[in-house]
Parts: sequence; C-alpha cells; structure tokens
Amino acid sequence: MNSASSLSKKLLTGLLLCISTLLSTPSQAERIYTLKFATLAPAGTTWVNLLHEWADEVRKESKGRLLFRIYPGGVHGDEPDVLKKIRFGQLQGGAFTGYGIGQIYSPTRVLELPFLFNDVEEIDYVRKQYMPDIEQGYRDNGYELLGWMEVGFVYFFSKKPIVSLDDLKDRRIWNWQGDPMGKAFFDASGLSPVPLSIIDVYTSLSTGLIDTVYAPPLGAIAMQWFTKTSYITDVPMANGIGSLVVSRRFFQNLPQDLQKILKRTGVATGEKLIAATRKDNTEGLEILQQRGMQIVEGAEDLETGEVENIRIRAGESLMANGYIPEAVIDKVNNWLKDYRAGKAKDTVDVPE
Amino acid sequence: MNIRQPSHKTASLLRVTCFIGAALLLAGCSTGKLVVRGSQTIMDSGIVAMNSETDLQLARAAMPANLKLMEGMLLEDPENIDLLLFAAQGFYGYSYGFIETEDPARAGALYRRCYSYARRTFSLRGFDIDPETASSDDLQATVASAGKGDVPALFWTASCLGKWADMNRDNIAGVAGLSNVAILMQRVIELDDSYYYGAAHLFFGVYYGGLSPMFGGDYALAEQHFQRAAEINHDNLLLVDLLHAEFLDRQQLNQAAFHQRLVGILEAPDDLYPQMALINAISKHKAALLLEHEGDWF
Repeated sequence: MNSASSLSKKLLTGLLLCISTLLSTPSQAERIYTLKFATLAPAGTTWVNLLHEWADEVRKESKGRLLFRIYPGGVHGDEPDVLKKIRFGQLQGGAFTGYGIGQIYSPTRVLELPFLFNDVEEIDYVRKQYMPDIEQGYRDNGYELLGWMEVGFVYFFSKKPIVSLDDLKDRRIWNWQGDPMGKAFFDASGLSPVPLSIIDVYTSLSTGLIDTVYAPPLGAIAMQWFTKTSYITDVPMANGIGSLVVSRRFFQNLPQDLQKILKRTGVATGEKLIAATRKDNTEGLEILQQRGMQIVEGAEDLETGEVENIRIRAGESLMANGYIPEAVIDKVNNWLKDYRAGKAKDTVDVPE
Repeated sequence: MNIRQPSHKTASLLRVTCFIGAALLLAGCSTGKLVVRGSQTIMDSGIVAMNSETDLQLARAAMPANLKLMEGMLLEDPENIDLLLFAAQGFYGYSYGFIETEDPARAGALYRRCYSYARRTFSLRGFDIDPETASSDDLQATVASAGKGDVPALFWTASCLGKWADMNRDNIAGVAGLSNVAILMQRVIELDDSYYYGAAHLFFGVYYGGLSPMFGGDYALAEQHFQRAAEINHDNLLLVDLLHAEFLDRQQLNQAAFHQRLVGILEAPDDLYPQMALINAISKHKAALLLEHEGDWF
C-alpha cells in the first residue's frame, strides 16, 4: 500500500511537472528571434547574395531559432533612415558605409582619412589593431558590430583629366552633403566643392552642375556615374569602410548560443564581403577601361608630400570638431609606421 | 473551256523571263531560304495563336518545339530579320513566362540566346557598334540616326540584354551595360512609344521603380511610365500592374498597394485581353507567387 501510495505521488508529481512545462511561456531557448536587416545594396548583387548565405547559415546553425528578414535596395531609406528605424525598433540591423558609421561611432572613420593607406595589406593590418576599440565604441553607442566590410578605394571620376591638385581647384566637385569627412578633405585641400545629396549626383553630372565625383569603381558603376564621366584619377583618395551591425538591445536579448552564432558567422561574412568587394572593384576598373574610360596616371602632386599635408590638415579639423579624437589618429599613425617599418625590415631580410 | 494560248513570241518571252527569274532566285536564295520565307506567314499566325493561348501548361509544352523550329529555319536563312526577331521574342517570352522564377541561371542563359538573335538584327539594320560594351556617348550618337523601321531591332536588343543583366546582377559587366539598355529603350520611346504594347514604358517603370534614388531610382518617373503603359493597353494588360507591384510598390514598401494590385490581377476576368491572353495568364500565375512572399518583403 505504501509503495503504491509512493508510486502515485511520483506519478502525480511527474504529471504536474509536465503540465507546468506545457502551460509555461516558451523559454528563451525555444523562442524564435527575427532580425530585420536593411542594406542599400540592390537585390541580386554579390553583397546581397552573401547576406542571404549568412542568413541561411544562421537559420541552420540556430535550428530555426534565429531568422533574418533582409531588406535590400534601400527600401527602408538611406543609412540615416535605417539607423533611425533601428533606434525605434522597426529594424534590428543593417549594413552601413562610412557615412552611416559616422553616426554610430565616428572615430572609426579615421580609417577613411585621405591618402592614408598605400595598399590593402596596410588596411588589413591597421584595422586588426584597431578592431577591439571599434567594437567597444559601437557597444557604448548601442550597437554590436557583427562583421567588417569595405566599399574599397575611392577614386576621382571626372569629365576632364585631373593630373594635379591645381586641376582639382578648377573643377566643380561633388561633396556628399552633411558628410564631415568629405568637408574635412575639401577644406584641407583648399577646394570649394558643390555639396549635394547623393541622390542628386547623377542628374547634376548630366546638367553640368558638377563635373567631378568620388567613388569606388563598383559604386560608380552601380550608380551609373561612369556614364557621365570620362577619366579616373589613378590615386585613391581614401578607402571606404563598412560594417554589419545590429542594435545592442536586440543582441543582448538573444540567448548566448545565438549571440555566438551571429557573431561568428557575421565575422566570416564580413571577410567574404571584403574579398568579393575587392575582386569586384578590380574587375570594375577593367570594365570601365574596356568601355572607354581613361585612367589618368601619375597625377604629380597627388603622389607627393602634399597629400600628406592634406591628410594632416583634414585630421586636425576632425579633431577640432570632436569627430575623431587626437589619440585615435595618433594610434593609427603609429600602427601604420610600425607596419611600414616591419615591412621595410622584412624586405631587407629576405634572402637573395 | 476556252483558254487563250500565248502566241509563240509571248511564250518564248515568258519562258526567258521565268528562267531569268528562277536563276536569280536560286542565285540569291537557297531552296531552304525559299521554304523559310514561304512559311513566314505561318510563323506570324503561330505567334498570334500563342499570344492568345489561355492554357499555361499547353503554352509551356508547345514553346520549346517552336523555338527549335525557328532556330532550324534560321540555319537556312541566317539573315532573316523577321525570323531573328521572332526567335528573340520567343526566347524572351519562354524564359520570362516559364523559367526565370524557378531557375534564374537557366533563364539567364536563354536570355543570352535571345540577345544573340536580337543583336544580329541590330547589326543587320546597319548599326556598327557593340551595344553591350560601347560607351554611352558613342551608342547614343549611333542610334540617333535610327528610324521607325529600326524600332523592333532596338527594342528586342535592349529587352534581351536588360533581362540577361537582370538575371546576372552579380556580374559587374552586366550592371555596367544597363545604362546602354536604357539608351536603346529611350530611343524606342522617342520613335514609337506604343511598340509592342508599350513595353519600353514597362522597362522604364521597372528601371526607375526598382532602385533606390541613390542608385538612380525615381519613383515619380516610374509611376508615369506605368501609367502610360496602362493607357496604351486600355488597362487590359495585367503585366503592367504585376510589374508595378513587384518593383515600385515593393521598393516603396507600400504593402497595401502591393497586395491590392496583385489581388486585382487574380480577380481580373480571363478574357480581359483575348489577343494577349497568354501574358495575362502568366501575370496571374506570377501574381499568386508574389503574394506568397508578401510576408517576407514587408
């Protein structure tokens, strides 16, 4: 009898446990999270295809608990609009270029200082050193950096050839309205650009309001600016950066295992995006030449010490208005100096 | 029956004329060409019959054989512009109607074939320039001399190239070539904007409506082009609403308009536009597919 009573109690306890499990709200581990993610890149492009691959990977690894909804083609507006929607919780994440990153954590744009890098190896080295600071800066401002990307080296596209800084002074150059980096560059170069929204650039090239723009080759193709210009100056004025970002609030609400999946796959996607962008930009330059665009090589003072003075002056003005702290510029300069010294040493040390 | 016999002199003249005529025909035309040209009216009627088909399954099954027949005829008569245009149109219609949703890569290859035929008509009409790689200024200058008779060649060259680029948006050369497609389509609009059911307006509706303003999109302009296409077809071509919903409404995140337009397509009578029944049936099929994805896009 006793043993029967004990068995009944056990059965009852088990039954109650089952019922309470069934009646309770789904635990955090079972909940399905949806990440609404926006990008300006049009659907079907390499960028968006890679974002979809990322979404598939996350869905599989999370066993369907973390799902992406990707909005390509700027359907949610430009980058400031997307940031606003993230703040209001309408979206949770997005892919941003330097323009948007400036509103997340502006010191990151030290990597876009004019004439800073000579090649992609320098970019990769400095970025790696700076990455912990960038991640912390994003966090402090309410965002989680998932992956790094770039839009690539930015060149001048012009209707007439540009072979010197003086040539630039005679041109009607577009400046992205409201972009502190562009303003710092033009102020430092003694140039008076025409500030316009990026939306008005194509039409303004057609009407002649402007005759010179700056963009990576891929951007000049995607935005059709190349059809209104004939020359590319073969000295990149800067390297455009980019980020895959989610709101910190969304990220922190995820269970730890999903945070790890999102972060790990985001880093890998960023690397794929960088590789694809570099490839596309190289290919883009070739295609532009095939279509009759001329590369203007050896722009005299654009390759000399004068460009360094421009960078220093631009940096000073960005420090003065608090966009990039002096300490950040110093750090980046020091990393670059170390890298170049190391590279010079490696070159000397290489046995014949 | 009293048939007047030709005089000896007339009969001799007739024989000589016939001989010269036959010799000229044989010199300029192979038997194959003669057969091809003789059967061209059948081909015309075949296209009319296909456009008015209401049974999608029947159309899908019938088209490949017709396309291969056209390709066979083109082997006999490779510079036959009418036939080249039929082939371009056929490959375009088959890819758009039945292939691109389920297999974009295959559709891309078929659009490329469509382009190869259209491109030949472009050359045969005397345009000595590669529309895919020419600089925009050169292409614009070349097609400035085009007349109304060039419209089919311009239109199908642009349509096939544009669709190929659309299926290959990760191909930089394709994206770069889109500006040239727009130049050709603009010329079509200038010369005859109602050509092929006002389809050049549909192109610009998609071109301006499917991109953010940053990339050259212009929603007001897209709206105008869709309106003009609808007007040309007296509001009977369901493809206009389909593309409006798929590109412009989606780009503007206007879910209500997207939904309403697509439901309107599904509810439209089957006999709305008898001579374009096939494309209306395809539009209905595609509208249902788009509605299935509504939740993913808004």
